[in-house]
Parts: sequence; structure tokens; C-alpha cells
Amino acid sequence: MTGSETEMYGPFALETTELSKHFDAVKAVDRLTISIPKAGMTSIVGPNGSGKSTLVNLLSGMLPIDGGMVIIDSVGLKVVKAYDTPSHGLTRTFQEVRLFEQISVWDNLMVVLTTRKWFSALMERDKPSYKEKTVEILKSVGLWEKRLDLALNLSYGQRKLLEIGRALAMDVQILLFDEPFAGLFPQMLEQVKSILKDMKAQGRTIIFISHNMDIVRELSDRIFVLDSGELLAEGDVEEVLSSAAVIEAYLGV
Amino acid sequence: MLKYFSGERRLPSLSDITGSQRLAMLLTLMVVAYISWKIGQSAQQTLQFAFNGVSVGAVYALLAMGFTMVYGTVWFFDLAFGAAAAMGAYGVFYLRSSEALQVGQFEVQNVYLNVVMAAVVTGVIGWVLYTWLYPPLRKRISPSVLLVIGALLTIGAGIYMFVLLSFPDDLNEILSPLIGGMVAGAAAMVLSRVYSRGLLGTRNLTPLVVVIGTGALVLGAFCGLLVARTPGSSLYLSWGVSSLLAGSVGLALYRGLYMYMRRKARSPLIMLVASLGVLLAITAFFTIIFQSAPRPLPDAFGSNSWEIGGARIKPFNVFSIGVAFTAFAALVLLLKRTSFGKAVRAISDDEEVAKVVGINTTAIIAIVFFIGATLAGLAGLLSGHDTAIQPRMGLLLLLKGWIASVVGGIGNIYGAIVGGFMLGLVENYGIWDLAGEWKDAIAFMLLILFLAFWPKGLLPRR
Amino acid sequence: MLRNLQVYSTLTQPFRDPWGFLKERSRNPELWINLVVIGGAVLFLLSKGTGFAITVGTVFAIWAILAVSLNLVVGFTGLMSVAHIGFFGVGAYSMAILTSDPLYEQLRSETIPTFALPFFAALPVSMVMAGLVAVAMGSILNRFRDDIFVLVSFGFAIISFNVFLNWRELTRGAFGIHAIARPAIGGWEADGKLEFLLVALVFLGIVMLITWFIVSSSFGRVLTAIREDEQAIQVYGYRAAHYKMAVWVLSAMLAGLAGGLFASWTSFIDPNSFILLESILMVAIVILGGLATIWGSLLGALVFVLLEEGMRFVPFIPTEHIGQGRQIVLGILLVLLMLFRPQGLVGRYKL
Repeated sequence: MTGSETEMYGPFALETTELSKHFDAVKAVDRLTISIPKAGMTSIVGPNGSGKSTLVNLLSGMLPIDGGMVIIDSVGLKVVKAYDTPSHGLTRTFQEVRLFEQISVWDNLMVVLTTRKWFSALMERDKPSYKEKTVEILKSVGLWEKRLDLALNLSYGQRKLLEIGRALAMDVQILLFDEPFAGLFPQMLEQVKSILKDMKAQGRTIIFISHNMDIVRELSDRIFVLDSGELLAEGDVEEVLSSAAVIEAYLGV
Repeated sequence: MLKYFSGERRLPSLSDITGSQRLAMLLTLMVVAYISWKIGQSAQQTLQFAFNGVSVGAVYALLAMGFTMVYGTVWFFDLAFGAAAAMGAYGVFYLRSSEALQVGQFEVQNVYLNVVMAAVVTGVIGWVLYTWLYPPLRKRISPSVLLVIGALLTIGAGIYMFVLLSFPDDLNEILSPLIGGMVAGAAAMVLSRVYSRGLLGTRNLTPLVVVIGTGALVLGAFCGLLVARTPGSSLYLSWGVSSLLAGSVGLALYRGLYMYMRRKARSPLIMLVASLGVLLAITAFFTIIFQSAPRPLPDAFGSNSWEIGGARIKPFNVFSIGVAFTAFAALVLLLKRTSFGKAVRAISDDEEVAKVVGINTTAIIAIVFFIGATLAGLAGLLSGHDTAIQPRMGLLLLLKGWIASVVGGIGNIYGAIVGGFMLGLVENYGIWDLAGEWKDAIAFMLLILFLAFWPKGLLPRR
Repeated sequence: MLRNLQVYSTLTQPFRDPWGFLKERSRNPELWINLVVIGGAVLFLLSKGTGFAITVGTVFAIWAILAVSLNLVVGFTGLMSVAHIGFFGVGAYSMAILTSDPLYEQLRSETIPTFALPFFAALPVSMVMAGLVAVAMGSILNRFRDDIFVLVSFGFAIISFNVFLNWRELTRGAFGIHAIARPAIGGWEADGKLEFLLVALVFLGIVMLITWFIVSSSFGRVLTAIREDEQAIQVYGYRAAHYKMAVWVLSAMLAGLAGGLFASWTSFIDPNSFILLESILMVAIVILGGLATIWGSLLGALVFVLLEEGMRFVPFIPTEHIGQGRQIVLGILLVLLMLFRPQGLVGRYKL
């Protein structure tokens, strides 16, 4: 089968069926089948090396899929191309923030707004609508004063915020956040939390990975627990987090 | 291939074969078919091209070994190895110009060059003494005395080098004390190893020391005199001198330049561009001193060639193949059997961790550069003897070595030698039906083919 | 609009308020670099007279076009290409074959096809040919990154030199092609040196405008993002391969234009103008001048051209070693830049 799109699937925002990925002998994601409903916040948790980041990389097309299928917004994909994901309505952030270091904060945001096709991009100058959107996002993440600085001169927290702002600027419904809260000061933590809540209020589907169980409890409506590339548990947050199997996987008892 | 022989992996079953492996098999089949067709056409010619290919392959393999070793340790290609190759060739030319050219044809002696080279050697010797001998001896002898002795030794070495370069006609006589001393030292070490095993129980060591000492001294003196009395040895000595000089320049470049650069370099391109700058500068410097016209090197082993199966090969080419394999064996021993090899591997895995564990990373990497540049110098002089030398030769040799190391599998010493010989063979079989001028284009076609289908090379680094 | 006003006010500041400008910028080395290079250029021209200025100016214009076009690839997109000499050569040979005088060519031993087109008809063909070659090269080069990219681009530089040298039916190999046409419109022909300088400068201006048009568009911004993180920009929906290919071909076409201009200027070309070393020098100019700025490439070309003349003032260098002396200086400058100023003299992107 050459085409990546097959048929229409159910009402979920994001599904995987029998999704697999292995690195040599290590099975990072092993026949994983999950369904994430539309809207609301979903968290993916699991011990280190349980395949969370690999899952996100597979969903966003950063890694080739070895087996199974990804269904984004009812479109089944056996091959996910990174550059196609926005058109399916999905974007992501990275665990280790990946900014465009040697261009300004302003351009870092502008760049995700402009036309995708190269020839129209060549003919296009900055439209007022892009600028307005950028200003809006810069103000909402609190980087307005830094807009002319190069991205590499930002602090760690500001870098995280800029990357989240970049995802925000993308006009998509499904957002994958890979460890958005890791290493943030309490004040910034609150800021990121409120940004995520705002997005949820807009009706977007938010999926995030976190190690911080307090935040997971506070924010998420639904939780998936991964262990060694397999789905360990899913469902309501409190229920899952208090189940014996999850506690065992985390504490290794 | 090799990894299957080592017993660590099971043999692949049919279902394991991936697309690229299938392609590899197809290509191998095509190559075999091509060669058998060619043998059918003319077996003698086929053998002749094989000889030619292996002869240049040896040069490429030497360069590739140096490249791959440096790349495997510090993850950047030192383009200045091209300059090292030219330096190896021009070192021989400089020291043996009276044999290579008719007298009075072209005045080679250049005081500035002698001074520069002497300074490089001074720096390297000083660094070696300071890095290895100073720390252990400091505890026993007062540092000031040590420093004075060290400085004297260093300056002595510089002056020695200057004299050596200034009077290349008496190369063998000037070098004879050094050779004698080295032979004596080596003999003393070997003898003491041998005898200490048998006589470990003996209380009185004096007679033993006397016997070993005299034996070593006599042997050393004999060798020194032998060298001094055979002017013909000058050529072979000049090979050693010029390749070691190239190595010293490589070491000096790392210690004096790349080391600082690596601390703040964000991308491999910085190092690449800097080494490109070094290559440009040294090549131009050589063009000024030696002019851009091609020059010959003196005949090494006579010009009549041996005939094997109707094909001809020069004794010198057999020699260079031998050099390549010797260097390969020595490198493998060095990297797999010694603590130095372990340290190199540790650095290539993670330099910071290696530093924390207590490995002197600066010294180890400097040696790696020294070895790499020495091999490049050797390759340069071998290729110079085979054809002719030109200041610009470095760039093309360097690219060939680079290709060979990538084709073989970058960072893998086995890959380097395989890649080197393979490149040589492909180049030479490639020009069977094409004109000889397409050689370089063929080499790069091979590279592109490999990178497209096997980006990790023939024998990928594990 | 707001941004344009800002650009305008920064551009005019040195004229409105020179002392304030100097005070403000005196800590910025870029100002001094600019002043020294341009001052040096002016001094040279004044001391050497117009004939010299015209020759140097033409050489400068051609190098500057090349440098600006290469900067699109090296500085803005972060692809360290050493292969641009190939496009330069393709442009030059297209111009030579299309415009060389058939009567003259028939007198020579080997015959090559001749078309006797005028300069301005052949120039677009030169650019298109360079672009076509770039499509073929780019489809292979696009797969590689960093040092392997550099190696493969070295390969293309050598392959293209081999083709120029060995495809005798088309290029007449080492003998070269003579009698290449000068630019001519109607009755006017740029056969004098001054006229040609004017034509070259006009083309330099056009190339700068095109480049500015490219880098100031959304396309240009995406290029810089590709340079910084190619994988990440794909996640935001850009097909980096298309962008890289597009800029590669555009840049090659500009280099082809420089090649056509060069062939017409010298009116004789042979493969020795397109050796690998020239390509390395080209990259050196771009890095020296400054990555990711158009002005930087101009400055780099200026320094490069003036270095050769400057060497004549160094007392103990004999005249025949001036080219080599320049190469030494350039090599050392590259090393120093990589140590202390990895963005080049006035660059916007640090390697």
C-alpha cells in the first residue's frame, strides 16, 4: 500500500492500533492500542524508558513506524510524515526544547504562521494577520519584552514558554506536550498550567507527558500509564493512580 | 562479514535480509560478473588493474586509517591531514633533493622553513616531556632542576632538528647517534625483560646490569656506525623523519589550535572550516617555497618491476602495501590491546566521563592526532614516490582518504583498510573502459552510491 | 509598516546624526570593520587610478555575485556547499558555447558546436543550465548534512571539473573556448572595460535585489529555521526538502549568471578557472565577509579582491607569490574567525 490514508475511523482525536517501534532488540513501543477522545486533557505517564517520548515521536512523524497504525482525527496513517501532521491537526513540543536558536523570538513565532508551500512563501511578505497573532501570543506567554532577542539568549523557562507559544500559534486541535512542566520554577509552572487550561477551554485536545503526579492529578481528565512500551492502565486519574499495578511499576516493588 | 566471524551474532536468516542488503548482494553479484567478464577478456589486464588498484589502495588505506581514528575519537574530520600528506612527501623531497634533482636545478634549502620546523619539534618535545615525565619525576627531583633539564633537552632537540634540516646531505651521519641511542635503549629494554625472568631469584644484580648495559651499548654503537657509514640509508631515514615531522605538525595543530576551538565549538563545521583554513595556508606556503610545478622523488627500490602472471608491479608498490598492512596491524594492536586503546574508546564514547575517570584526554587526543598525521605523511610520501609531488596533492589525497573512510564505515579501523583498497580497486577498474582522467569522478561516484544506500559504510562502527 | 520605518531610520541615522551614531556603535566591531574595509578600498582606488579601479571593480562584482548567491545556501540555509564552482562553470561554459564566434572556432583543430547568440540571449540559458544541473545535484545532496554534505559537495566540485576538462566535444578540454561575446544591446556594445564594469555592477545590483527579495520573504525565514533545526521545522508543516531544493536551485542560477558574466568578461575560458581551490576560496569569502547577510558577502569579496593588491605593499613578498600570499592570509583569517568570530566579519549567523 503506497498511500498513507486509508479510511475513516471513529470519533476519537487520536488513536493507535497495534503501534510498534523497536530499536534493535529493544521494544520501545510494543503493539500499543490506545484511543484518546476529543477535547479535554489527557496525560501519559510511566517510568523512565517506558516509551512515552517514543510514542510522541511516532505520533508526530519524527520516527518511522515499525508496525501498526496511527489514526489522527479519524484518518488512519500507516506512515506518518512529520510535515503532514499539522494538516491532520496535530502539533507537538519537544522534551529538550528545540528552538530556532539563532533567529529572534519574534521570527521563531512568525515562522510557524506563514504559508507552507515554498513558492507562495517566496512571494509572501509578513501579513498583518500574522503579526497580530504573534503579538497576541507573545503577550499571552509573557515574552513581549524579549521579542527582539535571539532565542539562544532566553532562560530555560522562557525557552519552554516560547516553544509552547509556538505550538499555540499553530491553528490545530490536537497538541502533544512532551514534559512541559519539567524543570520549571513554581511561578512559570503556574503560567504553563494556565496556558494549558486556556487551550482546554477552547475545546482543543491536549495530551501531555509528565512525571509530576500532582500536576497530573490536577489537570488531566484521563490518564494512560505506559510500562516497557505496553499499556499498563488507562482511565480516570484517581482510579488508575491508586491501582496496585501502577504503583508496582512506579516503585518497582 | 567481520561481525559474523566474531561469533557475537548469529548468521542472518533469509527473512532478516533488508532492502539495502538485497541491493548489496545484487551489487556484489554485478561486480563479480563484471570482473569475470573482464577476466574472460584479458586475465592479464585484470591482474594488472588489480595490482594498480591495490598499490594506490594502500595509500588511501593509510590516510583512511588516520581519518577514521581521529573521527572516531573527536568526531571531526581534520582536513589539515591533506597538508600533512603533502608535508610527508615534501619532507622527503627537501631532505633528498640532491638525489631527486640535478644539482643546481632548484635551490631547495630554506632557512625560514628550517626554523619553523625546528620550532614545531621544540614545542612538541617540550610538551611530551612536560606531560609525561614532569608529573612523576616532580615528586623525586626538585621542579626547578627538572624544568631546567627539560628546557635544555627541548632546546637541544630543536637545534638538532635545525641542523638536520640544514644539512640534509649528511642525514645519515647526523641521525646515526640518535638511531644508535634508540637501538641501545630498545635492546636494553628487551634484554632486561628476557633476563629478569630467568634470574629473578638472583640477589646481586650488578653483573646483570653490566652485561645488559654493554650488550645494548655495543649493539647501539654498531647500528649507529652502520647507519653513518651507509649513505644509501639516508632515503629510508628521510621517510621516518618526514612522516614524524608531519605527525608533529598534526599534534601541534591539535594542542595549539583545535583544543581551544573544540571547547566552544557548537558544530562540527567550525572545526572543519578551521582545518580547511589551515590546509589552505599550508598548501600556499608550500607552493611559495617549492613552486607549483610537479617534482620527482628519488627512486626507492629501482625502477625495474616484477612480473607476476603477466602483470607488472613495482617493488615500491609491494613495499607500500606492506607499509599499509603493518600500520594496520600496529594500529589494531594499539587500539585493542593497550590501555591507550581503552582510553581512546572511552573518549570516543564520552569525553566528559573519560575526563572524570581520570584519563588525560588532552594527551590521548593529541597522540591520536599525531598518529593520524604521521599516517597521512606516510601516505603522502608513498604516493609521491609512486607518481610525483605537487603542493596541491594534499587536497585530492585527503578527499580520497575521506571517501575511503566513509565507504569503509567511519570510525572503524577495519573499515578504513577495506575502504581504502576498495576505493583503489574501483578507481582502477573504473578507468578500464573510460579515460584515465575520470578517476576522481569515479571515486566520488562510489562515495555517493555508498552514502545513498549504505550511509554507515561497509563495516559500520558498533 | 512599522518595521519598514525602523529599517529606514537605522539606515539614515549615520547621515542625520553621525556623532551620535559613532558613539552608539563604537563598541560594535562591525562598524570598525566596515570603516576599515571601505576606507581601504577607497584609498587603494585613489592611489591607483581609474584603470586599476575598473579592473578591480569588475573582478569584485563577479566575486560578489558569487558570494551573495553562495551565502543564500551557506549562510541562510546552513548548507556548507563547496560545489558552487560547478554552477559557475556551467554558466560560463553555456555562455561560451552559445556565444563564441563560429568563424573563429572553425579555424581550430577540434570543432565544438557554436550558436553565435548575443550575450543577453545566452545569459538566461546559462542560468537555466546551471539550475538544471543544480536540480540533479541537489536531489542527491539533499540527503546529507554537516560534514558529509561538505564531502559530497567536494565531490561534485571535482566531478564538474572533470566534466569540463574531459568532455572535449563540448568544452574543448584544456584548450578552452575563445571569442566569447560581450554584452550588447542594439548598436551599443560593452566592449570597453568601463562599460563592462557598469554591466557587471548592474547585474550585482539585480542579484542583490533578488537575494533580498528571497531572504526577506516568508521563504527566507523558513530557510533560517531549516538552518537551525531541520527536523523541528518539519513538525510545523514545512517540507524542508522542497525549501532546500528551491534555494539550492535559485542560488545555482545566480552563480550561473556570475559564470556567464565571467566568461564574457575574460572572453576566454578553460577548466583552470573552475578548480576545486576556487570553490574553497569562494566559501572562504562568504565566511570571511559574514554569514547570512548580503552586505557581508560584498564585504568579503571586497576584502578578497583588495588582499591581492594589498600584498603588493608588503615589502619582502616577490610579485609571483602574491596569489599564494593571499591564500595564506585567507587561511589564517579563517582560523582566526573560527576562533573568535564564527559569524564572519559582519555576519548574523554563527557556525
